[in-house]
Amino acid sequence: MKRKSPATRFLISLGVGAFLLIASGHVDELRAYQGAQVAIYAIAIASIVLLTGYSGQISLGHGALMAVGGYAAVIAQIHWHLPYPLTFLIGGIAGALAGYVLGIAAARLRGPYLAGTTLALAVGLPSLANQFHILGGEQGLQFDVGTAPTWVGKDFTQYRWFFWVAVVMALAIFWLLRNLLSTRYGRRWRAVRANPTAAALTGIDIAKAKVLAFTLSSAVAGLSGALFAMLLGLVAPLAFTLTLSFTLVTGAVLAGVSNLGGSIIGAIVLVAIPELSNAVATHLGGSDRVTANLPGVVTSVLLIVTVLLAPNGPKIPRRHK
Amino acid sequence: MTTFFNTILVGISSGSIYALMSLSLVLVWRSTRVVNFAAAGQAVLSTYLGYEAMSRLHNYWLSLPIAVIAGALISAIVESFVMRPLAKRSKGSPVESIAPVIATLGILGLIRGIAGLVWGNTFLQYTSPLSSKGFMIGHTTIPFSPLNAAIVIGAAIVLAFFAAIFRFTRLGLALRAASFQPEISRLSGIRVDRIRTIGWAFAGAAGALAGALVTPTTYLSPNSLDLLLVSGFVAAVIGGLESLIGAVVGGLVLGVGFAFILQYIGSEVTFSAAFIILIIVLFIRPQGIFGRGGSREA
Repeated sequence: MKRKSPATRFLISLGVGAFLLIASGHVDELRAYQGAQVAIYAIAIASIVLLTGYSGQISLGHGALMAVGGYAAVIAQIHWHLPYPLTFLIGGIAGALAGYVLGIAAARLRGPYLAGTTLALAVGLPSLANQFHILGGEQGLQFDVGTAPTWVGKDFTQYRWFFWVAVVMALAIFWLLRNLLSTRYGRRWRAVRANPTAAALTGIDIAKAKVLAFTLSSAVAGLSGALFAMLLGLVAPLAFTLTLSFTLVTGAVLAGVSNLGGSIIGAIVLVAIPELSNAVATHLGGSDRVTANLPGVVTSVLLIVTVLLAPNGPKIPRRHK
Repeated sequence: MTTFFNTILVGISSGSIYALMSLSLVLVWRSTRVVNFAAAGQAVLSTYLGYEAMSRLHNYWLSLPIAVIAGALISAIVESFVMRPLAKRSKGSPVESIAPVIATLGILGLIRGIAGLVWGNTFLQYTSPLSSKGFMIGHTTIPFSPLNAAIVIGAAIVLAFFAAIFRFTRLGLALRAASFQPEISRLSGIRVDRIRTIGWAFAGAAGALAGALVTPTTYLSPNSLDLLLVSGFVAAVIGGLESLIGAVVGGLVLGVGFAFILQYIGSEVTFSAAFIILIIVLFIRPQGIFGRGGSREA
């Protein structure tokens, strides 16, 4: 496979975007909602792929970083009355700040320690919202992005608009990340992941590279958190559960953890599984119990099987540079 | 002053539970260098089995050993059917330290899902005949009940049992050798795979006991023990992740710490406190209280 230039990638993104945006006019609200969900999950999973697949760190706490981004975006809207595109940016910046602090701790930890620490974060951080009045407690805070602007046309439904916003953001993020990963930063991260000792011998500052990867990954997670808040219309501790963090890791693993494009597949799988298993559960005449738990069982089995059969993620032809 | 002592008593009781979960994580870590995030799921499943036993036999004291044995079996199954093949497949690959973490997450999700399918996501009561009313000393009731006493005694017995096995038996020696130098152990005739499975089974038993002892004080649901997992992990890190004594001391320190936070600050901060304590420990003394020097590498 030949390396594409940033401009080619931009054109591809543009093409995919145009196709998706036109296609969105021909589906119902539920599909538009799910489409937006896929785009947002894809961004969040990309943040894990960046972290795990490229710099070899693991995080079970990215749901918490999404919460940081989401809350920051909402607060920026409520208290600073920023227009919503800027609040997404604020979400990303807040995520980056939190990720920087966490990344300094993370660079000293490996594998299981890092997993455990980020797990504690995932459990601990959302409950902080109950502590501070400004964060709205258990009820959370409303996030109102508003309806579609008039220039996109009449009868433009709410979720279709969310889908547009999410898709445009996702394409922009993927374009940026794809280009970033083919610069020296991307190569450094891969070197750190493949062989830390050899990387250090070639003069790469491992700790610095890891902190940078963590910060950037958290920024992306924060941004996806802000988008997630837009889709839900609110931020609340219950929206950013431990399960969300686990879901993101699952999506990244299912997609092949060292493949950025795979995050889209991972996101589609994550959204499709509950849908499909619901259909199966209904077909089998299952109770609420089945409907509630079948998706979890299916994703978990997929996760275990993927890790067992292909610990490195599904085999995808890799470019050798 | 009374409040102070009462807080310590509360802390020791909940700390004993954390100690058991922490012990479970440390035993797995020592035998296979994996932090078993599925421990919460395994303990939940064994507690559900204890609940089933309880509803048939109507005897908590009979259901307790059933839950513990079930916990050991579940853990041994997880090790032999998922973790061992995975370790062989991912050996030497860049994801060697990450793949097991992900696999244990998968198992956690699977067990939760199965528990939800079988028993539903409602809160079940798994009750103990022991009173949760505090003992009376003179005319004051202290916040330490017969149930708390059973928890502390149970944890102490388990710790003594494991300490004795590791120190005095050939099995203990094999367990230590297999984790320390698997290749050399294999050469000297230790069946490393089997020993590892036994290590996991012990860990499962400790986790199951934690689940069966803590559940009567709260409720049972597919993810009712998630928090215990986090506390157990923090306790294990405080103790150094390698040391059994460290796991127990870590659990007690965390339990008492939480009790003071609960008493003097408020219940809502406890979740966040676990994270803050963990970060502080990792920054100040990354090798834990009982760990030896060196960096925290897997």
